[in-house]
Amino acid sequence: MAQRDWLGLKQELPANRRLVLTVLSFLTPLILWTAVSYVPWLWHPLVHITAPGDVDYFVEDMEVPKADFAKELAKVQAAGGELPQGERVNPVYLPAPHKVARAFYTAFTTEPRLPNEPWLHESLSHSIRTICWGFLISSIFGLPLGILCGTYRFFSRLQEPFIEFFRYLPAPAFGALCVAILGIDDGPKIAIIFIGTFFQQVLVISNTVRKVDPALIEAAQTLGAKGWKLMRRVVIPASISDIYTDMRILLGWAWTYLIVAEVVGTMSGITYFINQQARYRNFDNVYAAIFMIGIIGFTSDLFLAWIGRIIFPWKRRSGSPSKLGAWFAKLLPKKPAPAVPVEA
Amino acid sequence: MTALAPHSLDYRQQAPEVAARFERIKQRPVILSVKDLKKTFGQNGSTRTVFDGVSLDIHRREFITVIGPSGCGKSTFIRIIAGLDECNGGVALLDGKNIGEPGPDRGMVFQGYTLFPWLTVKRNVMFGIEMRGKGKFVAEAEARQWLEMVGLSKFEDAYPHELSGGMKQRVAIARALANEPRILIMDEPFGALDAQTRAQMQSYLLQIWRKVDITILFITHDLEEAAYVSDRILVMGTNPGRVVEFIENPIPRPRSPAQFVSPEYLALKMRLEELIHPPVEVEEDKLPVVKMTSAGDDVE
Repeated sequence: MAQRDWLGLKQELPANRRLVLTVLSFLTPLILWTAVSYVPWLWHPLVHITAPGDVDYFVEDMEVPKADFAKELAKVQAAGGELPQGERVNPVYLPAPHKVARAFYTAFTTEPRLPNEPWLHESLSHSIRTICWGFLISSIFGLPLGILCGTYRFFSRLQEPFIEFFRYLPAPAFGALCVAILGIDDGPKIAIIFIGTFFQQVLVISNTVRKVDPALIEAAQTLGAKGWKLMRRVVIPASISDIYTDMRILLGWAWTYLIVAEVVGTMSGITYFINQQARYRNFDNVYAAIFMIGIIGFTSDLFLAWIGRIIFPWKRRSGSPSKLGAWFAKLLPKKPAPAVPVEA
Repeated sequence: MTALAPHSLDYRQQAPEVAARFERIKQRPVILSVKDLKKTFGQNGSTRTVFDGVSLDIHRREFITVIGPSGCGKSTFIRIIAGLDECNGGVALLDGKNIGEPGPDRGMVFQGYTLFPWLTVKRNVMFGIEMRGKGKFVAEAEARQWLEMVGLSKFEDAYPHELSGGMKQRVAIARALANEPRILIMDEPFGALDAQTRAQMQSYLLQIWRKVDITILFITHDLEEAAYVSDRILVMGTNPGRVVEFIENPIPRPRSPAQFVSPEYLALKMRLEELIHPPVEVEEDKLPVVKMTSAGDDVE
């Protein structure tokens, strides 16, 4: 089996090859970026002037297009003056990897320029706080409503047609309204994330709950479960691990609403930081901040997936009974089987 | 002599001890009584009768199998008994009372196991006991006894996905029995298992039935299975579903696979074959023969 193709149709790859490809998926864009940044004849459309020479409008540290520089150089050569000097560079909005990497650290240590400006870690925690509140409030309402809609046709018919309509209304469109109602601080931002999350949440979760195997519910009924107990002991546990996965995906969606939410009212959080840094032309900081959003989102999802494997052990394909459980099992005495009357 | 010519034995002929056993069974109280049960699908305009006029009495600790071709409504029939479907006519009484919603008095074992995947084996068995309002500690002790009965004590902390099909179905049986139901309803319980496991499970079930005071209503489409496990066999026909014959199984108990060649078994099987697979004209001879390649000699 080790001799299988790298490109076997719909075939699972061995673990080591999977790892190689995972690393490669991150490495490929990084290599491209590195190449464009450090190989001088790749792209580098501008010339950074180190010595203006006899060109009137050239000054030191100025950046001009490659073609303009060549034209001026040719003119000065023909006139026999002092030649301008420069090196080819990329535009300022494409910083080299090492600059962005350094910015990951320096962005945290650089004091804000304005006295009332937040530090980067303050901006980030502000963003995370906004997301968490929006998602939490959405879940407090969306989770129970979704489960109800998935379980009872009554609630499904009563709620879902409207929600189905409402989810097509773009959340950012409510920006002005939210500011008018909730002021200019965090209220409207949380509201935007709520609007962006809640309606999808109800529909996605109710759909997941509807997919619970009806045979499990029937089996539970023949075992004497009904009403609220049937819901609590069968419907919810049967769908809870899938709901958890839904919540992870929804949290990802909530992140995509963050930037929109943060420009509503007074700009805040990581969006404010990115905007300010772009204004100061600190593009290395801009990239670092964007990547930080990605890293926070991605690692929190990995973390939640890991938690999920712990709290839903029946989803682990190769689980073994817990040691604690086995230890307790030994403590309890075994009783003889029930006595049996009547001939067979 | 009889082994060589099984046809000579009538399936209605019973050895004295078998006849005596049926006499004793008839003395026992009736657990489930079904009269003229009818089920139709569809609304007023176009209704289709699934089955009609199904009647039977099941006595305490009897083992009844229901067998019939697909489409005869045997699964619908037991779903009605279990309370999962409603009938359109007739009555079904459990201990003299009308059956209603599904409840723990009618234990059910499904073909698809239907174990709760989020619960360990022990917790699955505890489920029904807890539903009846017993405390966790009592439920756990009782669940252990039932798991011992089906030989799965070692797996009490395993999750269902870690078990084989046969083991899953044993857990499902333990789970249904733990509710101490009046009747155990089994809907093709071994249909999804391979032939070998199925044979094991049949013997297992008979063992459990010998140990536990339980009445069993067992659906199958496998007539050998029906002949092996049952006291009486309700044979259903199709279009519309109806009772064709209610056969008293002449094979003496205790049963063992050694009886598969006994004259009673062969006579019963022959009769079941007749009822379920009525002879049809063989079309094979009319089919055209396509010669692919010559093997060099005549292949017969």
